[in-house]
Amino acid sequence: ASAETWRYAFEEALDEVQGKYAQKFKEEIEANSDHEVQLFPYGTLGESVDTMEQAQAGILQFVDQSPGFTGALIPEAQVFFVPYLLPQDDEQLFEFFRTSKAINEMFPELYAEQGLELLKMFPEGDVCMTTQEPVKTPEDLNEVKFRVMTNPLLVESYKAFGATPTPLPWGEVYGAMQTGIIQGQENPGFYLESTKMYEVTEVITCIGHNNFTTAVMANKDFYDGLSDEDKELVQNASDAAFEYILEYQSGLQEKSLENIAKAKPDMQINILSEEERQPFKDKAASVEEAFIEMTGDSGKEILEQFKADLEAVK
Amino acid sequence: MALTIFSIMVVLLLLGFPMMIPLIVGAFVGFYSLFGGFGQLETMVQQMMAGIRPASLIAVPMFIFAADIMTRGQSAGRLIDMVMSFVGHLKGGLAVSTAAACTMFGAVSGSTQATVVAVGSPLRPRMLKAGYKDSFVLALIVNSSDIAFLIPPSIGMIIYGVVSNTSIAELFIAGIGPGLLILVLFSIYSVIYAYRHNVPTEEKATWGERARAVRQALWPLGFPAIIIGGIYGGIFSPTEAAAACVLYAVFLEMVVFREIDFSGLYETAKSTGLITAVVFILVAAGAAFSWVISFAQIPQAVLEGIGIDEMGPIGVLFVISIAFFIGCMFVDPIVVILVFVPIFAPVVKSVGLDPVLVGTVITLQVAIGSATPPFGCDIFTAIAVFKRPYMEVIRGTPPFIVMLLSVSVALIFFPQIALFLRDLAFSK
Amino acid sequence: MTPVTEDNHSSQLQSQTDTTGTDDAPVGPYRSTLPGPLGTIDNAISRLESVMLAAGVLLMAANTIANVVGRFVFQSSIFFSEELNSILIILITFAGISYAARHGRHIRMSAIFDALPPRPRKVLMIFIAFVTAVFMFGLAWYALQYILTQAGRGRLLPALQVPVWWTLVWVPFGFFMTGLQYLLTAIKNLIEPDIYLSTSVLEGYDDNEREV
Ligand code: NA
Ligand code: NA
Repeated sequence: ASAETWRYAFEEALDEVQGKYAQKFKEEIEANSDHEVQLFPYGTLGESVDTMEQAQAGILQFVDQSPGFTGALIPEAQVFFVPYLLPQDDEQLFEFFRTSKAINEMFPELYAEQGLELLKMFPEGDVCMTTQEPVKTPEDLNEVKFRVMTNPLLVESYKAFGATPTPLPWGEVYGAMQTGIIQGQENPGFYLESTKMYEVTEVITCIGHNNFTTAVMANKDFYDGLSDEDKELVQNASDAAFEYILEYQSGLQEKSLENIAKAKPDMQINILSEEERQPFKDKAASVEEAFIEMTGDSGKEILEQFKADLEAVK
Repeated sequence: MALTIFSIMVVLLLLGFPMMIPLIVGAFVGFYSLFGGFGQLETMVQQMMAGIRPASLIAVPMFIFAADIMTRGQSAGRLIDMVMSFVGHLKGGLAVSTAAACTMFGAVSGSTQATVVAVGSPLRPRMLKAGYKDSFVLALIVNSSDIAFLIPPSIGMIIYGVVSNTSIAELFIAGIGPGLLILVLFSIYSVIYAYRHNVPTEEKATWGERARAVRQALWPLGFPAIIIGGIYGGIFSPTEAAAACVLYAVFLEMVVFREIDFSGLYETAKSTGLITAVVFILVAAGAAFSWVISFAQIPQAVLEGIGIDEMGPIGVLFVISIAFFIGCMFVDPIVVILVFVPIFAPVVKSVGLDPVLVGTVITLQVAIGSATPPFGCDIFTAIAVFKRPYMEVIRGTPPFIVMLLSVSVALIFFPQIALFLRDLAFSK
Repeated sequence: MTPVTEDNHSSQLQSQTDTTGTDDAPVGPYRSTLPGPLGTIDNAISRLESVMLAAGVLLMAANTIANVVGRFVFQSSIFFSEELNSILIILITFAGISYAARHGRHIRMSAIFDALPPRPRKVLMIFIAFVTAVFMFGLAWYALQYILTQAGRGRLLPALQVPVWWTLVWVPFGFFMTGLQYLLTAIKNLIEPDIYLSTSVLEGYDDNEREV
């Protein structure tokens, strides 16, 4: 096959999880073929919605977009925002992503309708809150203006927890936290570290409600047009990058939190116990109903399959 | 390809085409040569929309609107009268106050374009009346506004911090030294300018007159209170503070001073919209053009060619400065940071440069670049708002660019300008 | 009626010269130079554009303030506030570029242009207006295509839950109207002896620029 240049955009910086995955993918492709993969980190070709459209238009061959952003296109993808659905245990979690029928069979069909070949979905890390005051119970979130992504289910969750969900463009979050417009925000551990959120907050609280998930896909026409040999190349590179990122993931959350503690010794880091999490779980039950209401039968089907797949890895 | 595009753009610019056309044609040619036809021009439209999407851009029309209401009414005049009662008798006093006001307002609002309008609209006529030349006034306003990039909070530093994994708190503190140094240089230049051109001074005001001027300005002093108190007090984001200023300006001029009626408000809103459109279409076209540059990986190609890997720390800092300076001459600063920082990251690490110093150097270049011809949003804003020709707006720029570039060079050889405060605050 | 005293007379003058704010000479009502019903339509569109500009800015201010009030007084943010503002900014920009074209307000670097003798200057003006029109029409076309693509994908704004393409409908229209203004400017320069910056504005910056 003749050497081609493939372009791959993702939503994070080169050294963050999506970037690490992309670098491994590039390395595999280039080691096993004459093709070249050019990487475009966050912002260099626009925001998440832009790169997604560019992938749909075939300008980009590969794109990484998290289901939180895909929700406007594929509502069912918001299932990843149903709180307390994914397991806390790394081994179970990874096995779920490897074997889930919902992820490996049902979602690819939904993505295909949008002109996308879903290659992999993978977790990026446990989402934790950073706040100014300790959060031990939902009551502690009362009247806390909490920045969340403009995602209906996430808003629903934090309302259920008792906070005041506040939309804010990401670029303004650091400043708003510093001046006090908002008093809380959430993100996976590595992102709390890389975006320096700990510099402007006092407490990190992990309540185990969510693991930030992302998805890598290819333009479907591009993928379908590949030779069998190249299809295999792409699949193999995806598999290798997937296993690499799971490896990279294990212990990443702990390491990120350790790094934060080192950079800011008086940072309080609270990982809530099962009992402490229960009140949050109770409050969040309504979010699942909201998800089914939003997505109808198709969403319900995905959710049920999800639960069956999770049961299977326990 | 890059060279062809730049040449076409410069020719179109010089011929006198509307400024959006060089950018649009540059993007058109780029899309055509990248995709072998016009098949992907929808993405150009997409990127134009993306260019005007950021929520923080809303601060620009809001501050334009507030400033316009204040200037048409009495608020601005009263504030300036108050300042003049204290500095009017000093040579260059008004110019120094203007530079300081730009720095302060820009620092807080975070928007250099908003600063050009909010501080420039009321102060420019007063400076002209006081005897300063327009070219000096315009250059002073445009360049002082850009000090805002260095004084916290600075959106450029936040983005650099995230992309390069550097402490934003340290960056913020490191920006203060160079920012103030520039303000001092501008002030000295202003005083020299006032002496050389023999700008007349006013008679020194008595304390009684000063007290009266302060009393007159009591209501309008609410504006700095809203902006500074509101933002640092955690009540508003900068954008919201801008809207709050609009509300307060409407209240003052329509209710308290009764200077503006509903039809006046409507006209003001309309002209605010017009200026916004004229500037934002350039932001949009610029975004489409930057996309082409980024997609074609032109910066990577250029940097590979100059062999940065063999340079020492000083050489690397120089290359970084030049790259950002040139990049920002043509493309939006934020995009330049996002595209360039990852490219430079490995070499910055290998020569062992302090990422905080690099961030400060970059932020300074970004500030310089956005006030430097040919393409610069602050220049466009000044043209749109003050209705002065392009050449007149940039005529007075060279001395300012020279001062800014000297600070860049000084920063490279004496990093303590930036790092002294940082080391003090973080006890390093 | 207040008598015109020396004092308020001079203050009025001063306020006139001092108001560089945005528009010293307020952008007056636009008079189309197109013949018959076309002129009527053109005038109506111009009027619509100016209403959109003013209303867009006023709504943006109201929306932003309402969000602050909501957050502080009612402990709840307006979730669509940001999306509404981004819709308004598109509206303002694309109503504004054609409005600016009518009034010859687009930013340009005219140093070399101004230095040319009248005849080449006129030729250059026709060229500039014509080329600009071509690119505006081109963008109008591709903007329309982009909207159709968006409509086909059915992406929704997350908070408002309205289709994204609704927010863009003014874009092709704005480009098209801008192109039309430049095309008319080229034609006007071809048939009239003077040099026109736009259909209603004679060349010259600020002081000697006059609306006709
Ligand atoms: Na600032
Ligand atoms: Na520039």
